[in-house]
Amino acid sequence: MQKAFKNRLLVVILFLLATASCFAALPRPVGYVNDFANVIGRDHRRQMEDVAIALRDEQGVELAVVTIRTAAPLTPKDYATQLFNEWGIGGPEDSGLLILLSVDDREIQVEVGYGLEGVLPDGKVGAILDQAVVPHLAKGEYGQGLLAGAKVFKGELAGEHYELAREDDDWLMAFIIFILIAVIVTYLYRRQDPKGPGGTVHRPRPIHVPRFPHGGGGGGFGGFGGGRSGGGGAGRKF
Amino acid sequence: MRRGWIIVGVVVLVFLLAFISQYNNLVTLETNVDARWAQVENQLQRRADLIPNLVNTVKGYASHEERVFADIAAARSRLLAAGDPGARMEANNSLDVALGRLLAIAESYPELKADASFIRLQDELAGTENRIAVERMRYNESVETWNRAIRRFPTVIFAGLLGKGARPYFQAAEGAREVPQVQF
Repeated sequence: MQKAFKNRLLVVILFLLATASCFAALPRPVGYVNDFANVIGRDHRRQMEDVAIALRDEQGVELAVVTIRTAAPLTPKDYATQLFNEWGIGGPEDSGLLILLSVDDREIQVEVGYGLEGVLPDGKVGAILDQAVVPHLAKGEYGQGLLAGAKVFKGELAGEHYELAREDDDWLMAFIIFILIAVIVTYLYRRQDPKGPGGTVHRPRPIHVPRFPHGGGGGGFGGFGGGRSGGGGAGRKF
Repeated sequence: MRRGWIIVGVVVLVFLLAFISQYNNLVTLETNVDARWAQVENQLQRRADLIPNLVNTVKGYASHEERVFADIAAARSRLLAAGDPGARMEANNSLDVALGRLLAIAESYPELKADASFIRLQDELAGTENRIAVERMRYNESVETWNRAIRRFPTVIFAGLLGKGARPYFQAAEGAREVPQVQF
C-alpha cells in the first residue's frame, strides 16, 4: 500500500518537474552563435559563424553555439536538451549539434542530434571536450575554446552529408498559393483587356514566393530546420 | 415506414463513421505510447550493455573493491527478481546507485581516472542516463495523452468497447532484465 503511494508520489513529482521545465523561459535563436552571456569576442564569433555556415553548406549539419549565465533551475544538460528540441537544430535527418556554455555553472554541454549520434558517440564528444575545449575554458578563454571545439567537430563531420531541404507542407502550401494567385491574376488581366477573351494574354508578373527558413546555400542564418535530439552528447565541468 | 428505415440507416452510418474515426484516433495514440516505450527499452538495454565493459575496466585498476562489484551484481539480480513495476523501478534505482558508487571509486584511482577507455565508457554511460531520462519523460507524456483521451466522452465508450484501459507510467524495462553479464 505504502509502496503504491510512494510510486504515485514519484509520478507526481516527475510531472511537476516536467511542468516546471516547460515554464522555464527559453530564449529565441539570434543566429548560429548566440552569445547571451556576452563572453565571445567579435573575431571568434565571426569565425564560429563561418564554421557553422560551412557545416550547413558542405555537410548539411546545423551547429548552434550558445552561451548563457546559468541554466538554473534546470541542469545545463536538461537545458541543452530542451533548447535543442525547442529550436529544432538540424534538418529532417536530425543533423544538429548544440554547444552550450553555462558560464556561472562552469559547465559545457554538447547535445548531439539523433542523426549525428553514430558519427559523434558520447565518448568521442567527451574526448574532444577534454582535448580541445576544456583547457581553454579553464583559462577563461571562452571564445577560443568554443571556436576550437566547433572546428574539431567540423573536422569529425567532414565526410558526412545530410539533407537539409525537404519537401514539406510549407512548400506545398506556398506552391498552391502561387498557382491560385497566378490563376486569379491571369483572370483579372484577361478581363481588363479591351480586346476581351481571346485577345492578347498578358503574362502575370512572376510572383515572389517567400523563402521558408530551411537553410540552403549561401547567406546567413535563416532559422533552424526542426531537428530533434534525445539527450545524447557529453558535458564537462571546468 | 420507409422514413423510419432511412433514419435508422443514417443513425447507423453516423455511429459507424464516429467509430472509425475514434478507432483510428485510439490506434494512433496507442502506437505512440508503444513507440515511446520501445525507445525507453532501447536506452535501458544500451546502458545494460555498457555495464560489463565498465566493470571490467574498473577491475583492471581496482580489483579489490569487491563490495562495489557485489553491489552491482546484487542490484542486477534484484532487477531480475523484481515482479511488479514498483519493485522494478526501485531495483532500477538501486542499480543507478551502485553504478554511481562504481564511478565514485574512480576518484581514488588516478590511473583509472586517466584511462582513456574508462573516460569514454563514463561518457557513454552518462549519455545513456540522459537518454533514459529524456525517453522516460516522453513516454510518460504519451501515456498522459492516452490516459486522458480514453477517459473523455465519447472516446470512453469506444475505448470501453475495444477493451482499452489506462497505461502505467514509467516502469523498469523488460530489456534491462536480460542485462549485464557481470563476471566475478
